[in-house]
Amino acid sequence: MTMLPLSRRALLAAPAFLGLAPAFARAAGTTPPICIVLDSGGSRVSVIDMTTRKVIHTEPTLREPGHWALTPDRKTLLIADASGNALFFFNPETGHERGHKLIPDPYQLWFSPDGKFLTVNCLRLNHVDIYHADTLSLAHRFRAGSMPSHLSYTPDSSTVFVSMQDSGTLVAIDLATMRVRWTAPVGKTPAGVMWHDGVVLVAIMGSDHVAVVDPATGRVMRTVLTDKGAHNIFLTPDRSELYITNRVAGSLTVLDAKTLGFKRRIPMPGGPDDLCFAPDGRLWIALRFASRVAVLDPASGAVDHITVGRSPHGIYLSTLLTDTAARTAMRLA
Amino acid sequence: MLPAHPFNDLAGWVEQVAVLPLLYRFGLMQWSELSFGWTLVAIYGVTQMLLAYAVCVPLERAMPIERWESRRVVLVDVFYTFLARVGVLPVMTFVLFYAAQVRLDGFLADHGYVPPMLETIFPPLFGHPVITFAVYALILDFADYWRHRLSHRFRAWYALHAVHHAQRQMTFWSDDRNHVLDEVIGFLWFMAVGLLIGIPPLQFPLLVLILRFVESFSHANIRLSFGRIGERLLVSPRFHRAHHGILAAGERSINYGAVFPFWDMMFGTADFSKDFAPTGDPAAPEAMASGGWVAQQWSGLVHLVRSI
Repeated sequence: MTMLPLSRRALLAAPAFLGLAPAFARAAGTTPPICIVLDSGGSRVSVIDMTTRKVIHTEPTLREPGHWALTPDRKTLLIADASGNALFFFNPETGHERGHKLIPDPYQLWFSPDGKFLTVNCLRLNHVDIYHADTLSLAHRFRAGSMPSHLSYTPDSSTVFVSMQDSGTLVAIDLATMRVRWTAPVGKTPAGVMWHDGVVLVAIMGSDHVAVVDPATGRVMRTVLTDKGAHNIFLTPDRSELYITNRVAGSLTVLDAKTLGFKRRIPMPGGPDDLCFAPDGRLWIALRFASRVAVLDPASGAVDHITVGRSPHGIYLSTLLTDTAARTAMRLA
Repeated sequence: MLPAHPFNDLAGWVEQVAVLPLLYRFGLMQWSELSFGWTLVAIYGVTQMLLAYAVCVPLERAMPIERWESRRVVLVDVFYTFLARVGVLPVMTFVLFYAAQVRLDGFLADHGYVPPMLETIFPPLFGHPVITFAVYALILDFADYWRHRLSHRFRAWYALHAVHHAQRQMTFWSDDRNHVLDEVIGFLWFMAVGLLIGIPPLQFPLLVLILRFVESFSHANIRLSFGRIGERLLVSPRFHRAHHGILAAGERSINYGAVFPFWDMMFGTADFSKDFAPTGDPAAPEAMASGGWVAQQWSGLVHLVRSI
């Protein structure tokens, strides 16, 4: 049992995270755009040059890197290693590791839009941890359901919504009072959560739809059919479309972002999980069960594959650092 | 698309065509995050069985220690192997270990601690996954040496372990011939070790396969020694057969090591002089030697009650 950082590199982590020691980070714009792939099955992170589409280097983690979050100052990429019980700090431009901090079971995580809090879902340990974003000290721990999965905030950062994968519920946590506002059933195995135009969208992985939830009460107002195993929801940078990854069907469903009407289905075998939008309009998609990343051109439907890792889970593009539209669509702080 | 990582890609394919649809059908999608790990372990198990079969069967035919008219009793060992490698046991182990780990890790987290793993106990290991895996393998083998040795030391425990030793027709299939309660004790033993040092990363299928293969191979009916030096580096059929010899059954056995003989050499239980003795436990009930799976399990229970 230890709370000590693992290596001398970890000593650099806190100041780097606070943005106090970014001197070794390369100047913006001087590095080629990279894609960072979090390999849950390979205990490492792979860095791909987006231009050549080749893996240029890998960085070790402890066990199971899954999700990422960009710090509000965009100087550090946090990578959550759930079964490794560690939060890794990466240079978001180069994909080099700067150290790590041991925290219990970080699965999905995201900063609040106002940059004050970092919410960490501990899926295995069944609690939601809210950290102060500036110090990474624990502000509050919630036990509000079984298997907290994904999360999203209201734009004013007053509330965070967390899906409880095992309980089948969505939980609304008031960040001002640090109290649970409501817990509501939303469907079998809810996963991805997204605040969208005044409602909360929840991908229902145990079924084939997205639930549209009233943020005030948690009531499911309607459901939108997608495909089997709806896992996560992504808004395009131009805010015109929503992409839903469907884990069981092996497909993407495209919805109209305004009406939530069905637009098209794109086959995507290999277990589509996380995805990220590149400035050229292409989608970079982690294929969990195929050791590959798919690069989809939505205009032509062409798909290229890049062999990477054993089980690609989270995916981050460094172009987000300069692509304001994509960042805004992803609700990055 | 050519497979990048054959084991992962095969597990991924099984996951997509069978596991996920089943979880979805039965409303168990909350386990979809973990199921890929289960599938991978099952694929390792199947591959290990195929590898052992492909290597051991020709060698058992070419250079057997013993020849038998009937191999009926070996069939029960085949069943044990399926049960242990790809059947219920790995999934049960996975689920039980997961449940125990969740409770302990949750308890530690609530008290401000992060659960240990080898790389956090010994930080220079971080970033060297192959070395970390090797250290895990050594520690787990060391733990298994003591589990095995103690299973011979205590009468009641040996009453269960006698199921493993009762086999007179020992082959590579005999590795998993164990009483269910003996398996449970073994599981608890390794769970305790796992909670102390964490569990090794799963990304080295070949190393996992080699370690498991050595354990099966050491039970094979093959007249094979690894030579003077080799015998001292890796457990061979000759070395392990001495442990299963009729004179070594019970409380005063020798050669307890599963993969590495170092521990026997270190703790004074190594014997490199024995040469392919007949196997079996003369004191074990006949049902334990030649009965079916149920008869062997029942016999183990009766033996346990009588030993207390």
